[in-house]
Parts: sequence; C-alpha cells; structure tokens
Amino acid sequence: MLFPETVVAGCGNPLFADDGFGPAVAEELARFELPDTIKVMDAGLGGPHFIFTLIDPEQTKRLIIIDIADFGGDPGEIRDFRVEDLPAGSYRDIHSWDLTEPLQRLKDTIDITVIGCQPERVTAPDFEMGLTEKVHNAVPRTVRHVLELLGVDYGMAIENLRNEGRQQETDRETCIGEG
Amino acid sequence: MSKIVEISPTTRHEGHSKLVLKVDDAGIIERGDWLSITPVRGVEKLAINKTMDQVPKIASRVCGICPIAHTLAGIESMEGSIRCEIPRDAKLLRVVLQCANRLHSIALHNILILPDFYIPGTDTKINPFTPEEPVRSVAKRIQRLREIGQTIGEIAGGEAVHPSNPRVGGMYKACTPRAVTKMYDLAKEGLVLAHEQMDFMLAVISNMRKRDWTEVGGKQIPLPKTLGYHNQGVMAAHPIYASSNLDENPGWDPERWTDVRPWDWYMGEGEVSLADPSYPIGGTSPVGTKVNPQMEACTGVPLYDGAPVEVGPRARLVKFKNFDEKGTWGQHIARQLEYTDSLYAMINALDEYNPSGKVLADPIPQGDGSLGWAANEAPRGCDVHLAKVKDGRVLYYEMLVPTTWNFPTCSRALTGAPWQVAEMVVRGYDPCVSCATHMIVIDEDQRVVAQKLIQ
Repeated sequence: MLFPETVVAGCGNPLFADDGFGPAVAEELARFELPDTIKVMDAGLGGPHFIFTLIDPEQTKRLIIIDIADFGGDPGEIRDFRVEDLPAGSYRDIHSWDLTEPLQRLKDTIDITVIGCQPERVTAPDFEMGLTEKVHNAVPRTVRHVLELLGVDYGMAIENLRNEGRQQETDRETCIGEG
Repeated sequence: MSKIVEISPTTRHEGHSKLVLKVDDAGIIERGDWLSITPVRGVEKLAINKTMDQVPKIASRVCGICPIAHTLAGIESMEGSIRCEIPRDAKLLRVVLQCANRLHSIALHNILILPDFYIPGTDTKINPFTPEEPVRSVAKRIQRLREIGQTIGEIAGGEAVHPSNPRVGGMYKACTPRAVTKMYDLAKEGLVLAHEQMDFMLAVISNMRKRDWTEVGGKQIPLPKTLGYHNQGVMAAHPIYASSNLDENPGWDPERWTDVRPWDWYMGEGEVSLADPSYPIGGTSPVGTKVNPQMEACTGVPLYDGAPVEVGPRARLVKFKNFDEKGTWGQHIARQLEYTDSLYAMINALDEYNPSGKVLADPIPQGDGSLGWAANEAPRGCDVHLAKVKDGRVLYYEMLVPTTWNFPTCSRALTGAPWQVAEMVVRGYDPCVSCATHMIVIDEDQRVVAQKLIQ
C-alpha cells in the first residue's frame, strides 16, 4: 500500500516565501523517528494528484495537512480546521484536481485535520525563497502540535534534534538552503 | 462575419490557460489562440549564482505535476555543462524513475479525458467517479496503476513528490536488492494492468473516432474527422528517456531553437461577440468581455527550425516509431501505447541494474562555464533545460517546458473544429501550465473557506 494509517502532508511552494511553511514543517518532522504507521511527506504543490486522490480509506485512517491559511490572524498564528469547514463544491476548482474535492470525498471515512498558519507574505507570482521570521518561528510550534495530534511525545528533545539535524544534513542540499 | 468566443479558464488539465477563438457563422474556428495566463516567474534569474545542486531542486518546485521531469532535466543540464558522465547504475535508476512518472501521468490523464468520451455502443459519457460498472473497475485499475507508478517512483526517487535521490553526478543512494525486487514485482503487476487499460482506452478512442457528434452543454456538436490536425512538425529527443549534449548523437540541438515574443504570434485586441451560458463549466465569457491574447499570453513562443512544433507522446512515436496517426485521436492513441512502453523500459532497466554498482561519479567536475543542455522526454513532451556552470555555481539557466512548445502548435490545430470541442483538442496535449498559488481564504463570520489550489 502506498500510504500507511496516518499521513502528514506539508503543502505549499517554498519559492513563494511563507507558502513554503508546509514543506518546512514536513522537513522538520522528517527528522524524527516516528512509528511505521505514520508517513510524513513534503507534498510541495503535488498534494492533490500525488497524495489526496491516491489515499485508500481502507488503509489510511488519518490525514493531517499543514499549509498556510489567511484567516485574519496574526502572522505565524496557527489554527486547526476540519473539512466540515470547507463546504462541498463551494470552492470547487474548475481548472483541475483540487484540494477541496478529494478531501470532501474522504472526510466521512477518514479523520482529516488541516493545520493552517497565517502567512505574512506570499510573493506569487514572484519568487522569494525563505519564510518570514514570524512564520519561521511557527515551525517548531507546529511540529509540536502535530506530534501532539499524533500522540508522539518527544518533550524537550525537539530543539536538540533540530540542532543535531542541522549538523547532519550537510551532505544534502535543499532548495531553500544557503546559497 | 467572424465572431469571438472566449473559454476561460480551460478545464481538466494542470494550470491556468484560456482559449480565444475567432469563429465563422457556423461556429467553426477560423483562428484559435490557446494561451497561458499564468504569470512567468523568472526561475532563470533566480538560478543565477546558486549552486548547481540547488537549482534542479528549485526547478522541481515550479510545477506540481512535473517535479520528476524538472529535477532530472535540471540535473542533467548541469552535468552537461560540467561534462560529468554518471555511472551506468545511476542512469538506470533515473530511467526507472522517469518511467514510473510516465506511468502515473498517463493514468492520471485517463481520468481527466474520460468525461469527453462515450461508453462504446451507447450515448452515455463516461464519469470516472461513478460506482456503476463497467466504469468502476476501470477507475480502480487506473488508481492501481497510479499507485504502482507512485510507489516505484518513491523507491527510486527517494521521496513521493519531489525526488530527493537524484543529484548532480548520479544518485545519492543505490537501491538495495530488496527494493529492486519490490519495484520489479510492482512493474510486472503494472504491465498486466497497463495492457488491459491500454486496450480499454484504445476501444474507447476508436469508438469516439467513429462518432459523428458529441454532446456539449446539451447540444449535439459535429465531430470533424480531422480534429486537431496541424501542419507543424514534431520534436522529440529520445523515445523514452532523455538526451543531452554529452550524447554521441544528441537528440536535440540548441542551434535550432529560437524564441519569439507572444505579440508576434497571438491575436491583438478584440471583444467577445458570441457567448454560450450553457457551455460547461459555467458558460463562456459574456459578450463584451475584452480580450487581448498578445498582451495576456504569459509565455514566449519557442520555435524549432523557425516554426512551432508538437511535443509529447505522438511526437515521440512519429519520430522514433514511424507512427502515422494525426490530430487529437492520434495523440490519445500514442499516449496509451506508451503505457506498456514505459513498463517494458522500466523492467529492462531493473534487469540491467546492479545494486552493488557505483551510483555517484567521482570526481565531480565543477564546471568552466560551458553550455550544457538536457532534453528530458517528460510525459507531456520534451522538457529542455540549458545551463552554464562555473566553479559549481550557475551562470545561466533556461527551462523550455513541454507545454510552452505546444501552445502555438495547438493553437493552429484548432482551426476547422467547432468551437465547442476546442477544449478536447487542448486536452489531447495533456497540458501542464504551471500554476500560481492561491491561498486559503477564511471568512470567520460565515465560516467559509476558499481552499488554496495546490498545483
């Protein structure tokens, strides 16, 4: 099976400043040793085609999506949303596969949480790499929140793991790395 | 007297584009312009002075559906510039990744186009999401093919969406014998399903070719036998994988490529004078809407030997396999034939692959600023990246993505068709117009959510 019991997908485009929030959280989460029943993915822009439309509700019971959301909060503020907040068809994407539709199809059979972070700056269509400070600071909070939702307790180890992770990651470049 | 119809946005493909169609009194297209309305983002500028390892990763983020093609083309253009030959086993893993991506993409495209087609022998259009047979088992088969493509891609590529395993000089990690066996088993399962799915699609396409009309917005629209025909040439660099400047006989030539501006190619200012509110989804643009394709088109127009060309499955088959079908049906047929081609190529690569072999070149040159290019045969056509690397840093970078090649060609292919079937011609190209992001917008009072389209 492509996906295990729990799927965590960080969505967004790191080329548009704070839109890279979801992938940044996924990258942090990937440093943790999580149970085999949990899969964390940097979905980038491909969530709908590569993940949401391929989830099998008989296998996957829980989906956590991390993304930016403009809910009128302060930049860096995080809030949970349920798919019930997204009325079916109201925001149907007529261009192609969208996020809302597959989620509407899945929501009755699996548990879906959308964690939205209020962005400060989304630069589309212009490229800008790197999160703004406030949104960057929301990453560890979001990681802790996801771990809580998953029932995984890493306690104070998070900051230490991040620091260790930074040292270990020198052999692999990311597109938002130093350059 | 000619009238202007506008279909905006076009649907069931990736990204944002529109059609501006000049039609005669019978509704037949005299001249069609299909154009991207996604702003150009200038990845080329962003790449300058970044490291040669970073730039392919940046390239993979410009599109939600083609990260694999852009990663591979980006990396191989860097390798072309620094003159780095990668180990054979690294190349084989890239071929596996490429084929897995193509398998997934063809299956996804099946879902996007099936609503245009009829269940053979009936006047019922296919709804891929219906729980009714026979469509239900077809949809399940498509899903399984997509799963197989994705799983193999994840094993060979390192990650599900944005592959992390390919790097300049080869691959980060080799695949273990166990991983190879898993990919092999999946590919063999996929091959059986791909044969069945190909046969089904060919039957559906063949049935459609025989039809005289199709229903659009509640009306019977005549279907021309020459739907999507054009007089432009084709361009393909390789039957399955890619070519680069390091090849003994390169499949692409930068000297033959030129670019013109959109205003040299598209129609000028006009006004919509024909509208149809019953056209799916939500009708065409209302009468009086101002159109100006010259100014609205967001991409340049690349030419090969001074003319627009078609890229994609039909182009590959015409160039390498003497395929002689034309137009929209020819494109659909060619794409289905690539189902089994991609699985056979994958199985052959896995057969040849040695899990204990080297997957990283040593040393990796840092480049002297020479031009390198790679033309990757992405699912929707030839994806050319060009680069100049000096001392490990990128001095020049350019991406010529498949649908940019196809925009002007498809525009010409619209002539002669009733305007109501223009989108069917567009879908034959499996276009991917990389898409701008749209944020989630939440209104607290009404608890209404506009979900970002994550393309």
